[in-house]
Amino acid sequence: MEATIEVRGLRKRFGSTVAVDDLSFTVGPGRVTGFVGPNGAGKSTTMRMIMGLDRPDAGAALVGGRPYRSLRTPLCRLGAMLDASAVHPARRARDHLRWLAHANGLPARRVDEVIEQAGLGSAARRRAGGFSLGMRQRLGIAAALLGDPPVLMFDEPVNGLDPEGIAWIRGLLRSLAAEGRAVLVSSHLMSELEGGADHLLVIGRGRLIADTRVEDLLAAASDGRVELRTERRREAMTVLARAGATVTTSGSDALIVTGPTAERVIELLTGEGVAFSGISAHRASLEEAYMELTKDALEFQAVAGGEAR
Amino acid sequence: MTGGTGPALQAGRAVRAEWTKLRTLPSTAWLLLALAAVTVAVGAAVTGAVDTSHCVTPAGCREDTPKLALSGVRLGQVAAVVLGVVAVGGEYATGTISVTLAAVPRRWAVLAAKAAVVAGAVAVAGTAGVLGSLAAGRGILSGNGFTAANGYPPLSPLDGPTARAAAGTVLYLVLVALLALGAGTALRDQAGAVTAVLGALWLVPLVAGMVGDDAWRDRLDKYAPMSAGLAVQATRELDRLPIGPWAGLGVLAAYAAAALLAGAAVLAARDA
Ligand SMILES: Nc1ncnc2c1ncn2[C@@H]1O[C@H](COP(=O)(O)OP(=O)(O)OP(=O)(O)O)[C@@H](O)[C@H]1O
Ligand SMILES: [Mg+2]
Repeated sequence: MEATIEVRGLRKRFGSTVAVDDLSFTVGPGRVTGFVGPNGAGKSTTMRMIMGLDRPDAGAALVGGRPYRSLRTPLCRLGAMLDASAVHPARRARDHLRWLAHANGLPARRVDEVIEQAGLGSAARRRAGGFSLGMRQRLGIAAALLGDPPVLMFDEPVNGLDPEGIAWIRGLLRSLAAEGRAVLVSSHLMSELEGGADHLLVIGRGRLIADTRVEDLLAAASDGRVELRTERRREAMTVLARAGATVTTSGSDALIVTGPTAERVIELLTGEGVAFSGISAHRASLEEAYMELTKDALEFQAVAGGEAR
Repeated sequence: MTGGTGPALQAGRAVRAEWTKLRTLPSTAWLLLALAAVTVAVGAAVTGAVDTSHCVTPAGCREDTPKLALSGVRLGQVAAVVLGVVAVGGEYATGTISVTLAAVPRRWAVLAAKAAVVAGAVAVAGTAGVLGSLAAGRGILSGNGFTAANGYPPLSPLDGPTARAAAGTVLYLVLVALLALGAGTALRDQAGAVTAVLGALWLVPLVAGMVGDDAWRDRLDKYAPMSAGLAVQATRELDRLPIGPWAGLGVLAAYAAAALLAGAAVLAARDA
């Protein structure tokens, strides 16, 4: 069984809202694929259609080459956490996992294993209604891991978590991908995926804006920029601007220089006797790259929105 | 793939999952206990309020004593209705329906499994309630003049017509719970579905009582789910019933089947 999700021409409309509009992509094995877009972009709807929960108006989604609804033991093919709050508050966490295991004929041993893996521990004997958001998130992840599936899908798994929880989930996703699984994880904040995703699917208003490796995206966005630190920022800016460079400030004592090479920047500053330190090729943050990427799409949306009014 | 994925196995897994789901909610035990306890308590209270003193002769009362003893189901059935609705409505209220359909994507299989476990649980609690009612009635009735000497043999679940009334009452409760399950699946809203089912059960007899026209009252008694279904409790003067015992239960079964089909159709057609 292939560890893939294939989405082909998926379309979904709710009344007059087009939630997903001719969306196509493939999620491959062995990597974490980030699924990013602003609120209402259609991420959750796409995931629900992949799992056969919402019926697409057009197109199809395949999990390991097969429609989800044709799977006999779906939990062993795709594990998902779409909504961490989707547990009955009066049921004990362990019982929630037990009925899921029974539904796919999974051994009781798996329940204990995923309780361990998700770090639920003794909380598994408590009723889910008393769980914190972080514990619910862990329960949802335990449920997704139950069938040891080759494909995993998480909808906003770090939403509302503390830094420790975010780090834990990030590490877990990484290790799942390292085992060769396909991992699709959505977020409306690019910064949440920084350092967590290998590949990115960016959507806006239900349409695919980008399908790219994170590395390629960062390289493109970082192109030719030089970052340096100096306590004499104003003087440095004057010198560099006179040489035709574009200079922007970053943080309290850093500058980002576009135009000249790092060697040329060093030459200019030493020539004028401006002290500096920590010069390096600037590495764009994922957030910056995302802004760059979506700039056109957002401008288009602003124009389109303006015309509609 | 070998053996392990046949439809029977699939169905068995779905039933097992639904059973685990049902029994791991504390409300289930309470509802089943209430079903049995209310049936017995109300039956005993109603039976205790009737004696032979108001009749010219005790035999002249022509009281249908098994039916009297089993009258507690009229109230006990509320627990069956709530259980049926909650079995599916609770999933919509808490959002677990998405998790359920992710684990068992064939939707009719989910509904069928829920029907099986709800029916099983209600059958057990209903049997306890019915046997308890007959036992309580047996003691109370003889104290109120309904004795063998007066033509009222002691209640026994082994006696032909009483056995039919008892088994029929258990089936009645099961069918009411399935009706509620179907309504809950179709409406997805717990309060709405409980109100709709209790309305269908209780409102029609109420209206029938107010209708002056005999032909219409007869029709309502014949085709309303509760009055038709409870015809199965009658053990005397069957020829004077608007509808026969089993035919009446059949009417209720038709309502339950229609509700389940409506639920299955909504479940299959709508987004989860
Ligand atoms: N059941 C529904 N009924 C009506 N409209 C819906 C429904 N589900 C989603 N929508 C609409 O479809 C669009 C896409 O919603 P969706 O939840 O898929 O976005 P999202 O990318 O997951 O957003 P978020 O980041 O806020 O979770 C939104 O405009 C939303 O209002
Ligand atoms: Mg969403």
